[in-house]
Amino acid sequence: MDVSANPHPRKSYWLSLAALAVVLPVAIVVHSQGELIQWLRAAFRSPTTVEKGASQSYAGADWRLTGLARLPGALPGTTVVLAEYEAAVEDEARLRDSFPCKLALVDDRGRRWKGTFMVDPVVRKMRPDAAQKPHCGTAEASRKGDTIRMAESFVIPQDADGLMLSLALYGGMPDSLLLK
Amino acid sequence: MNGAVRSLTAVIVAAGVLYAMQRSTPLYSDITSPVPVAGRQGERVDTSAFAIGIAKVYLARSITFPSLSRTQHYATSGVWVVVESAVEAKNESLGLTSAEWLGPDGLRYRYSQRLTNVPGMPGNEQFEPGIPRPMLMIFEVPESQIAGARLLVARSPYAPLAEEAWIDMAALSTDDIHPSITLSRGGQQMPWILKVE
Amino acid sequence: MTDERQSTLRNRLLALLIAGIGGLAATAISFGMAVYAAANPEPVPVVAPGKAIDTGRWIITPERAYSGNTPPTGIPSPDPRTYVMLEFDLENRSAVSSYASTNLISLDPPIPGLKNPVVHLARDSWIASPVHPGMPEKMVIAWEWPAGLSVPRALRVLVGGQFYKRRDNLYGASSWFNGDTVAVVELPVTAEQRPQ
Repeated sequence: MDVSANPHPRKSYWLSLAALAVVLPVAIVVHSQGELIQWLRAAFRSPTTVEKGASQSYAGADWRLTGLARLPGALPGTTVVLAEYEAAVEDEARLRDSFPCKLALVDDRGRRWKGTFMVDPVVRKMRPDAAQKPHCGTAEASRKGDTIRMAESFVIPQDADGLMLSLALYGGMPDSLLLK
Repeated sequence: MNGAVRSLTAVIVAAGVLYAMQRSTPLYSDITSPVPVAGRQGERVDTSAFAIGIAKVYLARSITFPSLSRTQHYATSGVWVVVESAVEAKNESLGLTSAEWLGPDGLRYRYSQRLTNVPGMPGNEQFEPGIPRPMLMIFEVPESQIAGARLLVARSPYAPLAEEAWIDMAALSTDDIHPSITLSRGGQQMPWILKVE
Repeated sequence: MTDERQSTLRNRLLALLIAGIGGLAATAISFGMAVYAAANPEPVPVVAPGKAIDTGRWIITPERAYSGNTPPTGIPSPDPRTYVMLEFDLENRSAVSSYASTNLISLDPPIPGLKNPVVHLARDSWIASPVHPGMPEKMVIAWEWPAGLSVPRALRVLVGGQFYKRRDNLYGASSWFNGDTVAVVELPVTAEQRPQ
């Protein structure tokens, strides 16, 4: 190796090493073609919190939680929560393209319950009107101005407090709603 | 001459290092395999997504389960291992769809797909945070794989880097093999009823 | 100074030449072997029914072939159909419970319009679930025979092999891959209803 061409080999060595620390992350970000930035943006986005009784425009509709009823659970120590909510259609095409939904019941400790696959028998018995309501996503496509009324039941332990309904539509992600 | 010897040594050493690196590179299957969480039968084993406890284990030569159309007898060339456990989801509702019996010889026996209709079997129920629920796992294994086995339970068979419970099973003797076990549908609290004959 | 420089240059050229010749020789030998193997394929052995065949992942013993109007489940379909069935013993030699591979048994020559066959577990008279390691099982593979075709008098089946790669070429993962045909089996087809 001919080292005489470079009068400060040591200095340029450290300079190169320092440059690597900058260039490598930049290369990764550039190589991901924006996906990394998108992922980071989605990961740090917090859901829009909607106060009790208020409504929020999201993914082509105006969403509102109309009821969060606690019914006795079949298993000891459990409660069936019946969440009823409605969507006033604003942009039917956008809403149709945004399905399916991701629904979960969230408590103050951050635990998430998914809806029960079948309508709970207790809902059918005590709230037959709500048992008839469709799940999110199985609701018929509606026209602008219509209001879709939906319901979902959850089985949760009795000690769960501060319940909120988390609602996300695939077409509306990474945004999501947290209905109080 | 000295230089030649030196370069030859360098080549051999380089070849050796490359070979060692090639041999010691972890397999892709190892890199993406689930993260084991060790535990023992009779204790609660906590993974990040769920907790599981193994209660009772029964051995039998045959299983009877009445299905809708007819009562089915399930025979085996080995032994049926029936495991009763309790599962609780931690942060979000989930189903468990992967359960394996890891025999002392390293052979993996998936939970029996012949009996997936039995209530409580993996995949048949959704587990909720804060609500412990019973789960049934049934394996079909040769007699030689009963003692010194581990039970592997995970959320899904294809979840790289997710945690998997590795539960050391209490020693079971072939003297404990019952001639037959009858399973039937239970109620809301206990999804199945097990009768030893 | 110039002498030394010349000698290193000569050394380098020599090294380059040796490496080049070695590489070329390796390529030529490997290519020659591949051509030779392709030109002289090893004949696929014809195995008699009842003899065990090692396919790598499985040990399979074809027992007998028969035809009938009832599939191995014992539940006849509402409209009359004909099934051709092959009974065989199957042992899983791999370390995990696995379904019988799709290339395990195929008809020779292939029959156009034939639906994929269904493998059954004889013990349950039901569609097969994974076969566990070290626990041989009797299986029945059933082809739903096309309506326009007459049932054959004899069946010629190809038994496909599977081989294990510790590191596959794509991900470096360990898995089993379908290989070449390892055996040919010829069986007479008898007409009957149910296996006994």
